[in-house]
Amino acid sequence: MAAIADAAAPPALRRLWARVASVQGLISLLVLVVCGALVLYPVAFLIEESLNVGDPQDFPPEQFGLDNYATLFEDAHIIYNTAWVAVLATAMAVVFGFVIAWILTRTNVPWRGPLERLMELPFYLTPLVGALAWGVLASPKTGFLNQLWHLLGSQDDLFDIYSPFGVAWVMALFEGTVAFVMIAAAMKSMDPSLEESSRVLGAGKLRTMLKVTLPLVAPGVLGATVFVFAEMLGAFAAALVLGLPGRFFVITTAIWTATTSFPPDYGRAAAMGIALFAVMFLTLTVYRLVVGKGSYATITGKAFRPRTMNMGRWRWALFALCCAYVAVAVVLPLGALILISFQKFATVIVSEMQFTTASYETALGFDSLRLALLNSLFLGLGVATIGAFVMVVVVWIIYRSNAPGRGWIEYVVMFPQAVPRTVFGLALLWAWLNIPVPIYGNLWLLALAYFTVLLPLGVRTLAGVVVQIDRSLEECARVCGASWLHQLRTVTLPLLKPGILAAWLLLFMASVRELGVSVFLMGPNARVIAPSIAASWQSSSSELTAALAMIQTVTVLIALLILFRAARSVTGELR
Amino acid sequence: MTAHAGEPRIEIVDLVVRYGDTTAVDGISFSVARGEHVTLLGPSGCGKTTTLRAIAGLEQPSAGTIRIDGKAMYASAEGRDVPAEKRGISMVFQSYAVWPHMTVFDNVAYGLRVRKLAAAEVKQKVARALELVQMPDYGDRPASKLSGGQQQRVALARAIAFSPTVILFDEPLSNLDAKLRAEMRVELRELQRRLHITSVYVTHDQEEALAISDRVIVMNVGGIEQIGTPDQIYNRPKSRFVADFVGSANLIAGRVSGPAGSNGAIRFETTGGIVLAASAPHVPRGDETTVAVRTAYIELVAGTPGMNLAPAAPGGRPNAVAGSIRRRMFHGDFVQYIVDWPPGQLIVRRPPTDLLEEGAAVAISFAPEHCVLLEG
Repeated sequence: MAAIADAAAPPALRRLWARVASVQGLISLLVLVVCGALVLYPVAFLIEESLNVGDPQDFPPEQFGLDNYATLFEDAHIIYNTAWVAVLATAMAVVFGFVIAWILTRTNVPWRGPLERLMELPFYLTPLVGALAWGVLASPKTGFLNQLWHLLGSQDDLFDIYSPFGVAWVMALFEGTVAFVMIAAAMKSMDPSLEESSRVLGAGKLRTMLKVTLPLVAPGVLGATVFVFAEMLGAFAAALVLGLPGRFFVITTAIWTATTSFPPDYGRAAAMGIALFAVMFLTLTVYRLVVGKGSYATITGKAFRPRTMNMGRWRWALFALCCAYVAVAVVLPLGALILISFQKFATVIVSEMQFTTASYETALGFDSLRLALLNSLFLGLGVATIGAFVMVVVVWIIYRSNAPGRGWIEYVVMFPQAVPRTVFGLALLWAWLNIPVPIYGNLWLLALAYFTVLLPLGVRTLAGVVVQIDRSLEECARVCGASWLHQLRTVTLPLLKPGILAAWLLLFMASVRELGVSVFLMGPNARVIAPSIAASWQSSSSELTAALAMIQTVTVLIALLILFRAARSVTGELR
Repeated sequence: MTAHAGEPRIEIVDLVVRYGDTTAVDGISFSVARGEHVTLLGPSGCGKTTTLRAIAGLEQPSAGTIRIDGKAMYASAEGRDVPAEKRGISMVFQSYAVWPHMTVFDNVAYGLRVRKLAAAEVKQKVARALELVQMPDYGDRPASKLSGGQQQRVALARAIAFSPTVILFDEPLSNLDAKLRAEMRVELRELQRRLHITSVYVTHDQEEALAISDRVIVMNVGGIEQIGTPDQIYNRPKSRFVADFVGSANLIAGRVSGPAGSNGAIRFETTGGIVLAASAPHVPRGDETTVAVRTAYIELVAGTPGMNLAPAAPGGRPNAVAGSIRRRMFHGDFVQYIVDWPPGQLIVRRPPTDLLEEGAAVAISFAPEHCVLLEG
């Protein structure tokens, strides 16, 4: 037994010390300090800067005041735009999500399984690529859909994507999947016997729906609505691609413009960022209240396959509706991108089409673009590999250990969820510009930033699998005489292998396609691909941009296929 | 410190376990002798599993002392808390906790390999353990392909393989079906006798507890109600809770009205005015309010209304009272009657041989030693 240094200390204190001094205790302390610094330190700096009313370049600021916040009200139209787009997009996304969730969980629509998997596709396409593609499809005059409309004899455009409605439309299409997943989960987790007992007691279909089904599903739908709204407030890609050309600003693009204008107005950008952060934090708090109060009572954790309604001939109509969503969110955009990337001039008139691979040759000919692509892949590999292993230990400490302070760790690692990417990017930019560690403008900073903003994603994914492992599987190892590290190595990690792999793939994809933070932190020596594509959209032709987007999409796809193959041969147990 | 034969294997003193504001285990003390099989019995939430997990080192107590072989594993006064892996004990979990990513052999070998035994020795000990649980040929099977009963056996083999001083059982049979449970009960008892292992067993199944234990500890709301041999627990329950929870008993309210004279029995006057001859396992204080009579110990004889049942009559049965059958329920192994008698209703279980009709008049009787005065 280790001798206790201070025999005079009270037993409670010595016990606490014994717990902290263990391997687990030390690791949790390390995690808390490192994650705390990564997450909270930039935000603290941003708050300080938002109060800077002297020279915006001063560090640390010399004069403090609220003037930056006052200017928010001078730009009231930005706040109005943000709210309007977020409300519009949320309404559309929730309608998409609810209708499709209902069709896929509660009706006998044909090919339900494949449809459910198709619904994931918009997630893989990303809002940036989706926005570019819809730009190609529906820009005034030259957009493919508008060209077709003119062919049919109309003088006006069918659709102007460079409008608030266009921005909201694209955001809704791609956030619709998130709404679908959340609402479908709520619908699936309802015990069908709750409805059946209502029917047995003599209530008709409609009465059962109104009195039992809706009240049980309502918290889930409300939760999804609030969550999606929070995401919309912080959405960046669609507003950047489709809003900026028409000088339509939402708060995220306003922050971006304030930072990149000359001279950069960091104070004003910081004030806007903090304001957005505050609203988003509030919204997510509401979300947690909604979810905590309502749906957890009916969600038992078990997934049921609820009884499905026989829709007769209508089921084909419902099937067509689902296909329409997939077409609008995936097939049409992807098709347009592929078509335009191989064309000399964008057109849908078959007789005028001139095909060429020039765009691809140009794109791959730029050294800077090749480098950006390589950097992104390299960062993705590094962040996913190191991230997945660090996060699995963090998750284990939060959900399985009795280490002191694990509640704090959970709070800290989930915190980036409440900070919009652009705000976090700005905060990191400001923080690392001003401390004397020379990592600003190189890949190290990007790697740290990716790790930090992806913490909630990785932790949530891994928590799902860690919690599913029966606790006694691990306890049994301890009782058999294994130390904590031995137990982690021989029992926990092997059991988590498929889960870690899934988290790895998610982290890889999210890193390679990161935009919101990257645009702020990219330097001449550290280009990455997503901001390069966005920049190309603003300064080069849409044909070239489409080629870039396709190169990124295909590269990620190939990388994933290779890794998936490799992983399968390693684990042997993943389907 | 050298362990000698008279010293208990496990000693628990004033153990308290709290979760936030709730107290799961409230200052309990007991000890387990070498080779003894002790069962913690109680309803869910009584603190029995928490106690077991505290002994294993999986739950951190708030106060008290846990000693194994005289060595303190947990002692709040010294701030000592030996981690689970250093306690040298073993445990069988309710969910079996057989690792699905390993073979049966690897599962059973785990504790041996942790202790860095040579490969040959590991092999030999695993083979012996698998033999003991009657699964000698299953070593190469992946553990995920086993049935519930087989997983149970593997869990058991894993627990005994490294020859621990103590094995803890956390409701190990509760996930098996009734038939298999009865079989495993017999096997467990056999194994325990043969290996002379000290064990602490947790269950909410009173039948299981009585069948396989040397001693039973009945727990309720974080405290100990009674400690005793199965026979003591069943025949001499101390409290209403024990009488009610273990087996089935009639609880009859009334008051002590004086000593009955012969063989230390006492007189107990029920609320219905009938005077019963009862016995007391403790020294009666005089303010006790309940006697318990096991449903299996009550005799019923068909009679006629108004028959003479005076206990004083020579050759008469003790505690003889007239009643009538209200309901009869056929259970197969026994028949359960609800009998009306002056203090209210009695539940009586009789063998299914001589059936009594509903509405029939009966003579009720039971021995004073089966009419037990409860302490509280």
